[in-house]
Amino acid sequence: MAVSDSTLSEGAGGGLSLRQRRILTHAGIFLTLIALWEIGSRAGWLDPLFYPRPSNILRSFWLIYVQNGNVWYHLYATMILVFAGFAAGSILGVGLGALVGFNPLVRRFIKPYVIVLEATPRIAVAPLLIAALGFGAPSKVAIIMLVCFFAPFINTLSGVVNVDEDRLELFRSLGASKWQTLRKLVLPDAVPVIMAGERLALTAALSGALVAEFIQRNEGIGSLILVYTRNLNMASAFACIFTLTILGFLIFRGMEWVDHHVAFWKHEPGLERVGRRRRRKMKEALDE
Amino acid sequence: MTKFNTLLVSTAIAVTSVPAIGLAQDMTTVNMINPLPRSTNFYPLVVGEALGYFEEEGVIVNLLPSDTSIPYVAFVQNGQADLAMLDPVETVNALNAGAPINTVYEVMQNAPEGIGVPAGSDVDSIEDLVGTTVGLVSDRDRSFLQAALNTVGASIDDVETVVLGESGPTLAAAMRDGNVSAISGAAPDWISLIVNGIEVDLITPPELLTSPANTFAANADTLEEKRDAMEGFLRAWSKGMYVAAVNPEAVAEMLRQAVPEEWENEDAGQLYLDMSIGMNLSTTERLGDVQPDVWNSIQPQFLESGAIEEIVPAEDFLNDIYIEAANDFDRAEVEAEAAAWMEENQ
Repeated sequence: MAVSDSTLSEGAGGGLSLRQRRILTHAGIFLTLIALWEIGSRAGWLDPLFYPRPSNILRSFWLIYVQNGNVWYHLYATMILVFAGFAAGSILGVGLGALVGFNPLVRRFIKPYVIVLEATPRIAVAPLLIAALGFGAPSKVAIIMLVCFFAPFINTLSGVVNVDEDRLELFRSLGASKWQTLRKLVLPDAVPVIMAGERLALTAALSGALVAEFIQRNEGIGSLILVYTRNLNMASAFACIFTLTILGFLIFRGMEWVDHHVAFWKHEPGLERVGRRRRRKMKEALDE
Repeated sequence: MTKFNTLLVSTAIAVTSVPAIGLAQDMTTVNMINPLPRSTNFYPLVVGEALGYFEEEGVIVNLLPSDTSIPYVAFVQNGQADLAMLDPVETVNALNAGAPINTVYEVMQNAPEGIGVPAGSDVDSIEDLVGTTVGLVSDRDRSFLQAALNTVGASIDDVETVVLGESGPTLAAAMRDGNVSAISGAAPDWISLIVNGIEVDLITPPELLTSPANTFAANADTLEEKRDAMEGFLRAWSKGMYVAAVNPEAVAEMLRQAVPEEWENEDAGQLYLDMSIGMNLSTTERLGDVQPDVWNSIQPQFLESGAIEEIVPAEDFLNDIYIEAANDFDRAEVEAEAAAWMEENQ
């Protein structure tokens, strides 16, 4: 029997579920750390040049989000870049990974170059991309694409290559066509691994966007951070950095949610949900 | 039609009409590469945009602020940038490398670059730097340090240099903790330190203070191609520069609105603006005018210090082709427009 948080909460003391208690514990740890930071700053134990007071950071959140509202435009610019670069990197990574996975000849020629590309620091290549593609979105997207291309590529390759041999043999012996083998066996087997690569790629896309914005400074959270640090306005710089942290967390969680829905058969709740839906549909069909 | 279809159709109409609108207004894009995004440091751009001067001239400014290892002049040569902001050393080195560029407008006629030391430090002249470690805000500041050392008969080999980067905390810590004897940087670098209680004394040799800086360079072969747009751009820039001379309060308010990130601390913003006005306002009769005498007099120092390999006669690359047009505007009208803007936005 599957043990869920809700079942554990049965009989737990204080009327709080395990999940609620976990949230409270995390909140407690977080608030304690912030309080220590504030006390350390006020007492002069922490260098104010590097660690602004949390209360000042909070004030900066108010300034950049509400009073001045200047962060929204930059946030929008960064997120557009992140998703565009991620989409480009994913399409290229998954497409090339599948191609290389299915065709041993292509694999022999392409794989070494991809690994060399992965070993090349993207920040060193970035100025060349700008020179080649020009300033603006295309070169920024290309930088992000390079940053987040590898995980989908290697995971797709690994997913396609490592198909269960016995099941593959079974498909062959039943006379399944290549298309049927791909659709009914290879892809379902590879999707969970591909999704894990996509999760990594999307979080990496955020870092890629920052690299692009540090070099091309016209817009985006990266360029805003540079302005703030240059002006020694560390409270606002931290507010931007924490914004990125929160975004990164939300993106990761979002991708987990997508993963649970796309590769539902790998997750117990997803399997139950889809099973319920199919049973209901079947029942409706039978009733008719 | 479903809502989805309506949305698709309206999006398609919107997307296809954008170029048509652009054509109808006959706007020309001027691509300009420089080190900073819109900033108090280059307030003429912000003022020109706030008062609609660029739009009036039919110019769209595409700013390409960047920090790349590729020299800005390369982007002028490959056509990605119409104008590049270059320092004198960058300009002369580009010319010596065979780049066909002309300097067409001097954005700053009083060098923002300088050598700063912590207030009260033992170092109170350039001579005292010999044998010490000097911080550079960026690699571009090395040539200025070279020229400064040359004024006292020393060379760059007489000091250790370390690139600190533009990050305020790093510069502040280096200055405060005495990790470096001095920093070779620019006015904006000192402002953030001063505002945060780190006093800085400047020991910049006076002979380098009148050096032009951030001058606009363009491809010499294409000066006529975009003449109208370039003249319009520079006229709008000159108008923006002029507003600060007659109505600095309006300029401050425009900057507060356009670059609030630089004005979160009002004192810091105001200090930044005061310093920027001093650097941006032309000292020549015509705004942004090119000064052959100055360029010819500073080059021997750069040559002696090793910052440049060869002197290039200023007459060979300074070109005032756009200067007359850049100054062809009604001062009184600009004053009235700035005052009206201020009244509306106060």
